[in-house]
Amino acid sequence: MRRLSTTSLLEDSMKRTLLLAASLAIAAGSLGAQALPVTGGAGATLIKNATVLTVTKGTLKNTDVLIQNGKIAQVGQNIAAPAGATVIDATGKYLMPGIIDPHTHMMSDAVNEGSLSVTSMVRIQDILNPTAVNIYRALAGGVTSINILHGSANTIGGQNATMKLKFGESVENMMFPGAPPGIKFALGENVTRKNSTQIVIPGQPTTRRYPVSRMGQEEVVRDAFVRARDYRTSLDEYKARVAKGEKNLVPPRRDLELEPLVEVLEGKRLVHAHTYRADETLMLLHLADEFGFKIATLQHGLEGYKIASEIATHGAGLSSFADSWSYKIEAYDAIPYNVAILMRHGVVTTINSDSDERVRRLNIDAAKLVRYGGLTEDEALSTITINGARQLGVADKVGSIEVGKDADLGLWNNHPLSVYAAVDQTFIDGKVYFDRQQDLTMRDQKVKERAELEKAEANQAPVNRRAVQPVLPQEER
Amino acid sequence: MIAPRRHLAMGLAASLLAALPTAAQLASPRSIPATYAITNARLVPVSSPTIEKGTIVVRNGLIAAIGATVAVPGDARVIDGTGLTVYPGLIDAYGTLGVPNAPAPGGGGGGRGGGGGAVGPSATPARAAANSNYPAGLQPELSVLDLLKADDEAFSGPTSAGITTALSGSGSGIFQGQSAIINLAGSDANAMIVKAAVAQHIGFSPQRGGGYPNSLMGVFAALRQQFLDAQHYRDVKAAYERNPRGMYRPEFDPSLEALLPVLARTQPVVMYATTKREIERALDLAKEFGLRPIIAGGDEAHLVAARLKAENVPVLLTLNFPHRTAVPSADADPDPLRVLRERVEAPKVAGRLAQAGVEFAFYSGGLSTWSDFTGNAQKAVENGLSADAALKALTLQSAEVLGVSDRLGSLEAGKIANLAIIRGDLLDRGRVTQLFIDGRPVAVRAPAAAGNAGPAGITGTWTVTVSLDGSDYPTTWSLRQDGTRLLGSIQGTLGTMEIQNGTVGADNELRFTASITLKEGTEEATFIGTLDGNAVRGRMAIVGHTPGTFAGTRPQRQGPPAGAPPAGGSPRTPPGDR
Repeated sequence: MRRLSTTSLLEDSMKRTLLLAASLAIAAGSLGAQALPVTGGAGATLIKNATVLTVTKGTLKNTDVLIQNGKIAQVGQNIAAPAGATVIDATGKYLMPGIIDPHTHMMSDAVNEGSLSVTSMVRIQDILNPTAVNIYRALAGGVTSINILHGSANTIGGQNATMKLKFGESVENMMFPGAPPGIKFALGENVTRKNSTQIVIPGQPTTRRYPVSRMGQEEVVRDAFVRARDYRTSLDEYKARVAKGEKNLVPPRRDLELEPLVEVLEGKRLVHAHTYRADETLMLLHLADEFGFKIATLQHGLEGYKIASEIATHGAGLSSFADSWSYKIEAYDAIPYNVAILMRHGVVTTINSDSDERVRRLNIDAAKLVRYGGLTEDEALSTITINGARQLGVADKVGSIEVGKDADLGLWNNHPLSVYAAVDQTFIDGKVYFDRQQDLTMRDQKVKERAELEKAEANQAPVNRRAVQPVLPQEER
Repeated sequence: MIAPRRHLAMGLAASLLAALPTAAQLASPRSIPATYAITNARLVPVSSPTIEKGTIVVRNGLIAAIGATVAVPGDARVIDGTGLTVYPGLIDAYGTLGVPNAPAPGGGGGGRGGGGGAVGPSATPARAAANSNYPAGLQPELSVLDLLKADDEAFSGPTSAGITTALSGSGSGIFQGQSAIINLAGSDANAMIVKAAVAQHIGFSPQRGGGYPNSLMGVFAALRQQFLDAQHYRDVKAAYERNPRGMYRPEFDPSLEALLPVLARTQPVVMYATTKREIERALDLAKEFGLRPIIAGGDEAHLVAARLKAENVPVLLTLNFPHRTAVPSADADPDPLRVLRERVEAPKVAGRLAQAGVEFAFYSGGLSTWSDFTGNAQKAVENGLSADAALKALTLQSAEVLGVSDRLGSLEAGKIANLAIIRGDLLDRGRVTQLFIDGRPVAVRAPAAAGNAGPAGITGTWTVTVSLDGSDYPTTWSLRQDGTRLLGSIQGTLGTMEIQNGTVGADNELRFTASITLKEGTEEATFIGTLDGNAVRGRMAIVGHTPGTFAGTRPQRQGPPAGAPPAGGSPRTPPGDR
């Protein structure tokens, strides 16, 4: 009987969580671009008596965290609240670093420039939507930073954008300050369009675009970097002539396609390479070695476990799915132990969502790594926090709870590796961007607003004055 | 309810025409007297206070005199304007009037019964210039002058609303080429032109047909590269001009050449941008290259008002306000709150811009009913815009924004004699009884059924089933058409998303992209299809997936049938019924 009652309690709890999640989605759906009122903005916030999951420095029970000027100012016990500080009683709650999603297409008004094989000139930052409701939903899952990548339609794609999810603010304010720039590469089936041979793809060339094989993909990368080297030489020659004092020189034509590739050659731009199969991954690592640049991250890398040592030697990170496989041919050899094996070989590994839906529960994806591969809780959490920060070059600012870092935090009502955990508050730079209680209040407001709006003339259907019959399409007559 | 108005209209037209040349006389330019005097009329010069009773004299296409005590010249044909008000002819500040087969707003009524099954990759190629180094759609050298056609029939709609003048561009492409200001009458295209090369137009819709750039990202990269190339071209050219000896001449490039006045800020750039983020992107691009931008569209311009004011950027504001077009279907998801808000907010934008001190001018934006041109300006007045400001945004301010206020936009001696003669108040359901364009009388006729008579194009709430990878996904599409642009959102089992880069072609072809959420992840899908009355169907493509299809209907739509005048009734839609 006792066992039974426990089960029903759990079920109740689960039902409540599900209900909450469902209604949350509804409320957020109608939220639009309105930002939450910011609390604890300029002032300090003291989170008291939480279980603090620092990720890099262990778990601290009954611990206070003081946020000042958007940074983590103090971590310890019995911290006195500064005058005017907002104090949050976090007894029984868990504080963890804001989750970092290293691979998403959220906020994008476009994902692929698939017309050409090399589109390094296009920039995600040009087409971001700071009002996308998925930002709010991700915040409700404790996510604070994301890496927005170009799609995988072509071998060398566009420039990515690393963002903080400051919902309601401008794109400019959401750009992660000081994050190094990056670019997307892609190999394999999506580039060769194995699924698309029979049909005309709207918006795509009707003839198949080169390359249609992995051999061709290697050639595209090689050709692009040979051109980038030549371009850099022409720039260097011009600079040398100016330095020699030559007059009336016209600077060389700027080439937006090759400029970012020169930055890759110079180590100033991170390469995030979409790849599934071990053979193509090795090809790219070797090619990068040949041209003297590094692949920052392998995206997906579902066969990474086959070449873990080689990846570690090159120094690339890897961002994978926890347990998705066999959803296409090149994903057949994926295993759920991939991340654990790579981590044991010293590769900086992360879990990513690649999904506007899964981004809300990356904590559960991380928890799966405890089950598959036996990672410790800190190691599992690192795949959605500090390791993402390392891969994106922002580990000095976010990814763990340490004094001096940005106050990007999630306050959870349960251990975040539990399926029962939900976020109560999400902070970025010390400001609250998601608050479950405020969300509940907003839902009533939205219902009232909808009722008001429905009354307006513009929302009335036109009056059918002359009883004109609706025109049905021919087929339905 | 309609019949008495019609009788009145006909009676008035008859009494005016009695004093005017007959249609047969109109056909022969020689028989048209060059001098008219409209007496005893209320005169609204816009640039100065209203004259309650006065005379305006028109001679040789220009306003010769205006005032309360103006002498009527002996050679003038006198029109008694008792009970009438004379306004400057209205200006439609953005569009494609006079360009045949431009991607027509409202669907154009063509293509019905055409089967609508096959979907081609490039049904509407952008217009092309000769000898260009750039592909069609990226040719700023394109000029609307090469596309214009004198067509009184096509102008019957706008002239019935009091519009005498319009800014016309090619309406397609990314670099859409140079626009012109035209008068909506004239025996040949060249005679219509008031001013050529008024502005360069930019649209941010990706190239159709699959060539680069086929995404919004690519559009920005392509624009940026072409502006950089134009700067380089300018510098190389300048170096050659300084010292041609010993330097091989730079190759002439008509596309880059056409961008030089844009870079030099002597020619403004009209950029189509509706949402806050689109406007900000356009302003950022303009800032990057030091351009002189004018924003067209402007649905959310009030949210960027401070910046528009600070950077002195005018806005061309659509009068095609969104509104619910049908009774919501029980099968459909409720309209998103954002859509409900947009419909309520749209008429308030003009008032907010006026309050913020942002200059703006109205344009028709593919209105389904031309009488809504002034009708919706009146709605803006009901929503916080002063009547004076509304009138200016239809006349003098439009002329100022477009750089022709020295010749158009007000009733002043010496300006072009474009007049709209109204019974009643223009902004209070006044009725246009007569126009003068270039000093010549133009009879106001009921608009032809074609052109803008289609109900609302694709605007409305659609119930659409998307079929992909063997599964069917029920969705609800809330769509809105503004000229050739397709705006809106999708709800249902694929997630909630705004549609991006949407266009509707002259052949009723629609295209857009949207981020849909499948179980493997969130993917960008490209939708392409055809609109056929209240049905829509087409295909969708996603990188890495077998292409899917979609088909849907616009349920319980009410109102006049698409593309054809209602049988046995007046082609004019009763006021208020849209």
